[in-house]
This record gives sequence, C-alpha cells and structure tokens, in this order.
Amino acid sequence: MYRIRFHGRGGQGMKTASRILGSAFFRAGYEVQDAPRYGAERRGAPIFAYVRAAREPINERGVIAEPDLVIVADESLVGIAAAGVCQGLSERSVLLINSHEDVATWTHRLNLAGPVLVLPAREAVADRAELPFAGTACAGAAAVLVGVIPRDGLEAAVREELGSLPQQVIDQNVAVALHAYDEMRDHAGLVREAPTRSAKDYEPPAWLEPVFEDARHSAPAIHAAATSVQVRTGLWRTLRPVIDYDRCNKCWWVCSTFCPDSCISVTDDGVPEIDYDHCKGCMICVAKCPPHAIGAIPETDARDAALTGEPS
Amino acid sequence: MKESVLKRMKDLPSSHLLGAGTPMCAGCGGLEALHEIYDQVGAKSVFVNAAGCMTLLATYPFTPFRGSWLYTAMASAPAGAQGVRDALDILIDSGRLPPDEDLATVVLTGDGAAYGMGLSATSGAIERGLDFLYICYDNEGYANTGQQASAATPHGAQTSTTTLGYAGYKKDLFGIWAAHRPTYVATVIGAEPLDLARKVQKAMSLAGPRLILALAPCPTGWDFDPQYTADVGRLAVQTGIWPLKEYVGGEVVHTKAPKQRLPVEEYLRLQGRYAHLFEAGGQAGLIDEIQARVDAYWDGVER
Ligand SMILES: Cc1ncc(C[n+]2csc(CCOP(=O)(O)OP(=O)(O)O)c2C)c(N)n1
Ligand code: SF4
Ligand SMILES: [Mg+2]
Repeated sequence: MYRIRFHGRGGQGMKTASRILGSAFFRAGYEVQDAPRYGAERRGAPIFAYVRAAREPINERGVIAEPDLVIVADESLVGIAAAGVCQGLSERSVLLINSHEDVATWTHRLNLAGPVLVLPAREAVADRAELPFAGTACAGAAAVLVGVIPRDGLEAAVREELGSLPQQVIDQNVAVALHAYDEMRDHAGLVREAPTRSAKDYEPPAWLEPVFEDARHSAPAIHAAATSVQVRTGLWRTLRPVIDYDRCNKCWWVCSTFCPDSCISVTDDGVPEIDYDHCKGCMICVAKCPPHAIGAIPETDARDAALTGEPS
Repeated sequence: MKESVLKRMKDLPSSHLLGAGTPMCAGCGGLEALHEIYDQVGAKSVFVNAAGCMTLLATYPFTPFRGSWLYTAMASAPAGAQGVRDALDILIDSGRLPPDEDLATVVLTGDGAAYGMGLSATSGAIERGLDFLYICYDNEGYANTGQQASAATPHGAQTSTTTLGYAGYKKDLFGIWAAHRPTYVATVIGAEPLDLARKVQKAMSLAGPRLILALAPCPTGWDFDPQYTADVGRLAVQTGIWPLKEYVGGEVVHTKAPKQRLPVEEYLRLQGRYAHLFEAGGQAGLIDEIQARVDAYWDGVER
C-alpha cells in the first residue's frame, strides 16, 4: 500500500492535490482513499491531506503515521513543528519539498535518514494568486514518483477533478501538473509500497483513548479573557509586513483599525507596532497605508535574516 | 440618545479589545468589522453566537472575547439571547447581581442565520421588544461550510451551489427589520470605521431590539486576494452597492451616501465570484442589470 501525505497551507490546493492523485491512482486500477485534514483553522493555516492506494481493499483509517512519501508545497512549513511535516519519516520515506533551495541545502539542514528531493518552486510568492498551482504541481510530482501512474492518466485526473473551472484554468493546471511530472521523471518509481498491516498490529494513537468526563469537562467554560493570544497565528504568514518608520506619518488609525486581527497597536507616541506572533500576513495594512510606509517581504527572507542576525 | 463623541478618525481607539490569534482567515472582512465593533461594545457583554465561521472564534480553551460567549444552533441565537436577558433581569431584580454589573446581550451570526434560518426567531424577539443588539456579518453565503448560496447572496454571484451565478436576489434584511419598527437598524462596513463606530455607539446607548448589519468582504468565499478586503469594502460603498444607512425613530437616513457613484464594474471586477461576467462572450448584460438596480435604488433615495 502507498501512503502519501501532502503538507501546505489552507488555500494552496492540498485537498485538490490529494484528490487528483487519488483519481490518478484509481484510473491505474488502485483502491484509493483520499482525505484532507480539516482543523478549525483556515486559509493560510498549516493543513495536510493524505492518500492511500492499494491493489486490495483498504481497511486502514485515519491520519497516515508512517508515510512512504511526504510532499511539502510550502517550504516555510518545514521549520514549524506544529505542521508535523517530518512526522513518521523513516529511512525508506521520500520527502519532496517545493522550494527555491537545492537538494544539498535541504539534505544538510534536515539530516534525515531517507531521500530528500526538491521540486523547483516557481517565482517568489509575491503574487499569491499563483499559489493554487502549488497543489497541482505537487500532485504531478507525486504521480511520477510512485511510478505506477502514466502521464495521460495524470492529465485525465486533473481534468476530472477541476471539471467545474473555466477551460483556461484547467489547461493551465494540466500544464503545471505535467511539467512537474516531467521534471521529476529521473526519480520515477523511487517511492515504494510498504506492506499492508493487519488490524492486529494496529496501534491506536494515544488521543483516541476515550476517557469518561463529567459535564464540567465535556461542556467546558473558559474563565479567562482573550486566551486566543496563546495561539500563534503568525505561523500562517508567507508574507511579512514591515513598517518603514521614516515614512510612517503617525496617522494613528489606518493600519491599526483595518487589521482584522488586532495585530497593530499604536504607542503613546503614535507609533504603530506589528505583533508578529499573531499577524497572519493578510497585507491589508500594506494596501491601506496612505504614505505606503508598510512594505511586504517574503517570510522566508525574514526568517533567514533572523537566523544570520541581519536586520530585516 | 447620546450623540456620538467620535468626531474624527483620530478619536478611534489605537489598541483593541478583541484578542488576536483567532482561527478566522487572513484578511477576513467579518473579523475586521467585529474587531471595530467590539471596541465599542466592550467586555461587559454576553455574545450569543449561532453556527458559522465566527463560531470558531471561541474554540476551547481559546477565546478572543474579554466577556462572555455562548453558542447556539443556527436558527436560535435570538432565542438564546432572550434566555440570557431574562436571566440577567431576574438576577438584578432579585438583588443577586448589582445593576452596575449588568451585561449587554449581543447576538452574533452570519447572513445564513440572519437572513434565513434564524429569521423566525429574530422576528419573534423583535416583536417581544427584546433588549438586545444583533450583529450580522454578511459575507453573502454559507462561508463556513464552503460558501454555498444564502438568502443574502447577490444576483449573479458564483457560489459553490450556484456555479453559473446566483439566480435570486439579495434579501433586504434592513427593510425586514425596519418593518418591525425596532429601536435601531444600521448598515456598516469595516472599511468605513468612523461611520461604523458612531453607529455602534448609538446602538449601545439605546434599549430594545437593535441591528448592526455589516457587509463582510470574504477573501475565501468571494475569491480575492486578502490584502484587498478594505478596498473591496470601500468600493461596495462608493459604487452604491452597499448603502450605509440607519433607521431610527421611524426614519431612514443615509450616512455617507456617495456623491459621485463609481460604476459597479469596479467593485465586481476585483472578485473572482463575478469573473464569469467579464469573460469574452460572457454575461455582460448582467453587469448592466446590476448597475440598473443600484441606480434605481439611489433614484428612490434621492427623490
Ligand atoms: C441547522 C443547521 N444546518 C446546517 C448547519 C451547518 N452549518 C454550520 S455553519 C453553516 C454556515 C452558516 O452560514 P452563515 O450564517 O452565513 O455564517 P458564515 O459561515 O458565512 O460565517 C452551516 C450551514 C448547522 N450548523 N445547523
Ligand atoms: S470564510 Fe470568509 S467570513 Fe469565514 S473566516 Fe474566512 S474570510 Fe472570514
Ligand atoms: Mg455567511
């Protein structure tokens, strides 16, 4: 059985990627399971989707703990422990990262036992409208890596899954998927099936243990104010707004009022400050600042700068 | 009624009560409005929230609110608010709660609940004169479940259930509320924060049934880049598609009526849900129809 996990952010097309790969497997004669993992969080938040494919009926359920292939659409997720990208990787699992950096860099950085591959990312993420293609590209790469999906089967699966979209958008997605398929062709078949395990060997994850709770716990009340600040939604960000204080004219209200997430507060001196622990990177402040004092930089650049000690 | 002390933008608060770290999408126009509204409503409040995106605001053990919050089924938030209001009144009347610890009873729902499923409970609550503030963030669809069409979806907009464009017409919730002769009804938008803050302040100074109806540009459901949330909102006002107005004392007054209305096209063009109107050989006639309806509305206002 093949066990494959796609990691990305809400809005980058991971659910679609899993569906395309699932359909492509199905067309190649496999039994298939594909499912996105929905949390309460949404666009921009780390999410994943997974695919199981086997020649016999699939009895396994739930999240894939021991993947044969993990595909990461958004390289900024690799360093986020909560995203769980590296969870369950062994010496036989393949990790494919959609990235601007090369294999040597990632191999050195992650020090994993199994093979690491890079799917060269398209231009920088300045235009977020491009991001949905990340999912299609990942599906195309996965299709060739498993070695049992023909190129035309991939194309048919993309057309089937995106059927309701305008023709031009479908054609663009087909081109992106096939390009990724061809780009990774040298590694065709690198991902190998792992044996199907019987239910007897199955170990339930600890959190499935149902504990009987009284009503105070099962219908809980929160007794503190604004506890949501414990949730670091700053991890959702792919672009970072940066204030140029020389240009800020201390207008007082624009960025602070429009930020939906209460992430910009103004000091007593009228200086706005961005709370990067929570800023989701919507960039409304960048669009609205009257003197254009707020710019956008890719979050990966900001993190690299922080690591090398350069001011961002 | 207290006249607003908010004279200019600089009177708006510079730090905010609603906590960060919520699960709403990046750039959510509903959250933009709510965080502005909450600064005026304050922590001495009980929010009664029907199912929708904003139910996720308070996911145990996290809440962005500084006061109370409780969850009801989609159709029942105004009924839940009745229970909360009655309980507070009984506690105060029986001396178990000092009157100065009273809390504002606030309903928070999406348009699916406000325009559709919850309308019967709302109508009953207004009829009973329930002392509550109803906040509806109108993202023109059932966003939390994947933007299916609702009774608030505008004509021609694509949703996941109307892939060729919604055939119906957006219900006039402002008019439906006003026909009940409640204390106060107002439309607002996060992109016009001073107008919004004044109206919420006014609503908070009154008793009885009050509605704050906020158009909520939804990057996810309307398909636009999240950085444009406030721009889409501003264009909704400047094209005349979203009239900012209030009903008080039996009269409707337009606040911020656009002096020179921009063509509706400028608003529609920014949003993927209208992309089919702009395709070659597409439904250009629909743009004219949408424009004609907006013009007819304002002709009626100006007459
Ligand atoms: C009676 C009932 N039907 C369906 C649902 C599923 N449901 C949960 S949220 C939601 C969408 C609500 O739409 P709206 O009120 O506009 O809020 P939004 O999701 O747009 O924020 C639906 C249909 C439900 N919770 N209860
Ligand atoms: S789907 Fe729309 S309304 Fe709901 S949280 Fe996302 S942006 Fe806000
Ligand atoms: Mg809605």
